[in-house]
Amino acid sequence: MAEYANLLRRAWGQIRGHGGVRGLLLQFFRVNDLKTGALVGVDKYGNKYYEDKKNCFFGRHRWVIYTKEMNGKNTTWEVDGSMVPAEWHRWLHSMTDDPPTTHPPEPKKFFAEVHQFNVSGTPQQYVPYPTTRKKIHEWVPPKAGAQ
Amino acid sequence: MFLSAAVRSAVSQTARQVRGLHQSATRSAGGLFVHRDTPDNNPDTPFEFTEENKKRVQAILSQYPEGHKQAATIPVLDLAQRQHGWLPISAMNKVAEVLGVAPMRVYEVATFYTMFLRQPVGKYFIQVCTTTPCMLCNSDSILEAIQNKLGIKVGETTPDKMFTLIEVECLGACVNAPMVQINDNYYEDLTPKDIEVIIDELKAGRVPPPGPRNGRFSCEPVGGLTSLKGPPPGPGFGVRSDL
Amino acid sequence: MLRLPSVGRTLAGAAKGGLAPANPVRAPARAASNMVEVFVDGKPVEVDPGTTVLQACEKAGVQIPRFCYHERLSVAGNCRMCLVEIEKAPKPVAACAMPVMKGWNILTNSEKTRKAREGVMEFLLANHPLDCPICDQGGECDLQDQSMQFGSDRSRFSEGKRAVEDKNIGPLIKTIMTRCIQCTRCVRFASEIAGVEDLGTTGRGNDLQIGTYVEKMFMSELSGNVIDVCPVGALTSKPYAFTARPWETRKTESIDVLDALGSNIVVSTRGGEVMRVMPRLHEDINEEWISDKTRFAYDGLKRQRLTQPLVKDGSGQLTPTSWEEALTRVAGALQSVRGSEVAAVAGGMADAEALVSLKDLLNRLDSENLCTEEVFPMAGAGTDLRSNYLLNTRIAGIEESDLLLLVGTNPRYEAPLFNARVRKSWLHNELRVAMVGHQVDLTYTYDHLGEETSVLKELADGTHPFCQVLAAAKRPVVVVGSSALQREDGAAILSAVSTIAQNARTSSGVEDGWKVLSVLHRVASQVAALDLGYRAGVDAIRKNPPKVLFLLGADAGCISRADLPKDCFVIYQGHHGDIGATMADVVLPGAAYTEKNGTYVNTEGRSQHTRVAVTPPGMARDDWKILRAVSELAGVTLPYDSLDEVRSRLAEVSPNLVRYDDVEGANYFKQAVELATMVNQDLIAAPLVPPQVSAKDFYMTDSISRASQTMAKDLRFALIVGFKFLLYVSITAKCVCVCVCVCVDVVSESCQWLKRS
Repeated sequence: MAEYANLLRRAWGQIRGHGGVRGLLLQFFRVNDLKTGALVGVDKYGNKYYEDKKNCFFGRHRWVIYTKEMNGKNTTWEVDGSMVPAEWHRWLHSMTDDPPTTHPPEPKKFFAEVHQFNVSGTPQQYVPYPTTRKKIHEWVPPKAGAQ
Repeated sequence: MFLSAAVRSAVSQTARQVRGLHQSATRSAGGLFVHRDTPDNNPDTPFEFTEENKKRVQAILSQYPEGHKQAATIPVLDLAQRQHGWLPISAMNKVAEVLGVAPMRVYEVATFYTMFLRQPVGKYFIQVCTTTPCMLCNSDSILEAIQNKLGIKVGETTPDKMFTLIEVECLGACVNAPMVQINDNYYEDLTPKDIEVIIDELKAGRVPPPGPRNGRFSCEPVGGLTSLKGPPPGPGFGVRSDL
Repeated sequence: MLRLPSVGRTLAGAAKGGLAPANPVRAPARAASNMVEVFVDGKPVEVDPGTTVLQACEKAGVQIPRFCYHERLSVAGNCRMCLVEIEKAPKPVAACAMPVMKGWNILTNSEKTRKAREGVMEFLLANHPLDCPICDQGGECDLQDQSMQFGSDRSRFSEGKRAVEDKNIGPLIKTIMTRCIQCTRCVRFASEIAGVEDLGTTGRGNDLQIGTYVEKMFMSELSGNVIDVCPVGALTSKPYAFTARPWETRKTESIDVLDALGSNIVVSTRGGEVMRVMPRLHEDINEEWISDKTRFAYDGLKRQRLTQPLVKDGSGQLTPTSWEEALTRVAGALQSVRGSEVAAVAGGMADAEALVSLKDLLNRLDSENLCTEEVFPMAGAGTDLRSNYLLNTRIAGIEESDLLLLVGTNPRYEAPLFNARVRKSWLHNELRVAMVGHQVDLTYTYDHLGEETSVLKELADGTHPFCQVLAAAKRPVVVVGSSALQREDGAAILSAVSTIAQNARTSSGVEDGWKVLSVLHRVASQVAALDLGYRAGVDAIRKNPPKVLFLLGADAGCISRADLPKDCFVIYQGHHGDIGATMADVVLPGAAYTEKNGTYVNTEGRSQHTRVAVTPPGMARDDWKILRAVSELAGVTLPYDSLDEVRSRLAEVSPNLVRYDDVEGANYFKQAVELATMVNQDLIAAPLVPPQVSAKDFYMTDSISRASQTMAKDLRFALIVGFKFLLYVSITAKCVCVCVCVCVDVVSESCQWLKRS
């Protein structure tokens, strides 16, 4: 009986921690995980950073709930690890225990004003170009009506 | 002692590694064997055979059968050189045109022979022989005398375009060494004083008589005849008296 | 199918046996009493009197090393490499220049011979730079090979080496004159074979150098051959410089299609790229020379190529697409038409396989509207009798003739090797040449009879003074240029010429096998196309415009959009983007001659085939395969799936097309003349001027001006060095030689990329 009560309590905790059943389901489908913890901070894009040292083992004790809109892109479902800005990246990957909320990073001129996420697979991606001579130069048809 | 041996071996090693730079040929009269256009030597340099020489050209050409006019290349080139003093590229082209051969065939001949002058020379072209027999008869003093007299070095032309001086190899007058050739004339048995006189004469516009300068008529021995002095003996000379 | 090329060649060789005085070793045995017996290393050999020691050794199977000696050039005897000992002779003799005497024992491997070679080699190397690692000749250098084989393995030389200034003799030949060993092969080639006396030796002794003395280009249409003739790296190919080494390239034996002679070539490729083109020996066509166009036009194969199918979109712009879409479009268009609504034009470089596939395809659509771009008069016998359109005398046959009458042609630029053959015969066999047509420099002298067509009439009537010469000839040949027959009065010209030929033939009393009338074509595909039954000239299409027009490599601009109805669907199949592709609705990328196994018949009717040297670029495919695919989608599947099946189809249509390297002679001359006399067309007064008159026309045919305006965008112009600028532009392989600096390429390439990125 006691187990069931415990289960219920945990379930209740989860539902409350995620702001209701809807929030819980949303969280579940977005990140395939259900975890509740202490909100450590929110960056300027809206990504929320959580920590739970009690119930999670090291390595899974810090996580991010991504924002739903970043740099003009709808990120509700298309989330990407590169959405985490540099200062939070340090904390999130346990390089440091000091979150940027309490220890703001020293301003550096190479820090991006607006964090850019990875453009691989998009038209903006970088493509290396060859500098060798082409073996075959194909014919480029003249533009229609140019004659 | 060891040190000196080491030094010697080092010296001999370096000496063996020295590469000689050969430069005799390019210094000589031949010059470059390609043509470079210059203001006084280019395809537009005016050259035309004189009427008189045109007749001569025809006379030369008539010696060779049809289809073998190429054989007249040397005499016609020589004629052109005599007329112009030297052979500009336009003269060679003219010769090719006259002979009806490709210009290249004429260039080949003109570059082969050192007597065809492809660079401008002065009115008097002085060729000093400095090959061994002349050198032994002190041709160096002749060369020095000319250089001092004219103020030019070997290979140069006087500013008034009168004299050009070059050093040449044997001209085949070793008996009368030392000698110089000025245009077509051989001046032989020279002393430095002789050559100065010759140059003065030339400057004055006269051509001194060619030949030996020491009183010889030609190439007979300097100290008089040494053999064949008497009249030829008659029949029976040297025959045993009892025959 | 009977293929007897080797037997054919042997027979041909036997037939013209006595004709090769320059090369007595090849001559067949004469009466034994005339022969001289000599011994080569003790082995007896019978040779003709007057044979040189070197040739006698060759006959005995012993190769004597040589530099200056070349089979096809006069003997110079100045390299001394061929010194051999002759028993009881006091000194070694130069084998190349010494005629053999009865009973000589030639010692080719004696102590004295070997020492002589070693000594000569030491002298040659005294002034030869040791720059083999950076020399383009490395790996195919006679000096390198022979110094390995016959030279000493050590040197006593410690002086400075002679250095010679490099000459600038044009954009095709690179000179590094310090490497020159003064064999004078190039000088002799230029004056004897090419007939351009630009090269010579200047200076003497140690200062002797090869050059032009004055700075000038070596202007010959055969100039590239001095690269092959040069035994060292003094003369190398400028476009090929530093691009490949001979041992890395793969050699493919092929045929040239840039003129109608079908010169035999070797295509050197590396990594799927044609690196260079070299000549291959064929005694009856090109001997061992090729023209500059053949040799240097290969970089045209890498430019302006069609690499993917293109289809015109709604805005009329050709856009890249897939084969499926392009083929479907073509098949759809073909399905909707029947009979004379569809027509085809074949260009100058189409192979016989593609020609027969196209013909079968259109025949299945009930159309007989198949034309070639080159015009040939159809009046009289027209193209029905083969004798009318072949170079019946054959190229090698010129050497047997004693009088050649050229009509309206400039063989120097239309068929440089034919011209070289005429010059050879003019030099050695006292061939007399006469010409009706524009006066041009042919590298030999000829009687210029005038350029008016009235001369032809007079010649045909027998009223012209030259007729007496013509009548006195023992073996006359009359060659008419195909360009003269392109005129409106082509039929009349052909008729006049065949009358002249027939008269000359009758008066000469030459044997039956001798053929007088010859036509010199300008494009490679013409004879095969006519053999297959194509109609010459696009007049039929102009008169009766089709709804669908199929252009098979037709780039000469014979037919333009203006000749066609607005809604005419034009399909272009070919390998270069040029006039044809520009006017097309669908472009199907085909293969160029280095990329396919294609049969070509040269102007003398000799069938030969190219081989695949590289794969077609991108999505391009073999031409006959494309046509086969089109036919399947159009519902009229052609019954062949492999090259062998196409060729057996060729054999069905015209068996001579697959009898490779065999000339199928033509007959019915008399009938052709009879039919020709029935032509009642008048000659036009306009003078006979061949389209290629000067060297400029040889390299820069009309497509250049055209190209520079319409497709200047991606064209790269080349630059040429030195004091004179010569613009060689590369567009299509058929017209132009290009030398483009690699650096220009790289720079413009990166510029483009920068612009794009």
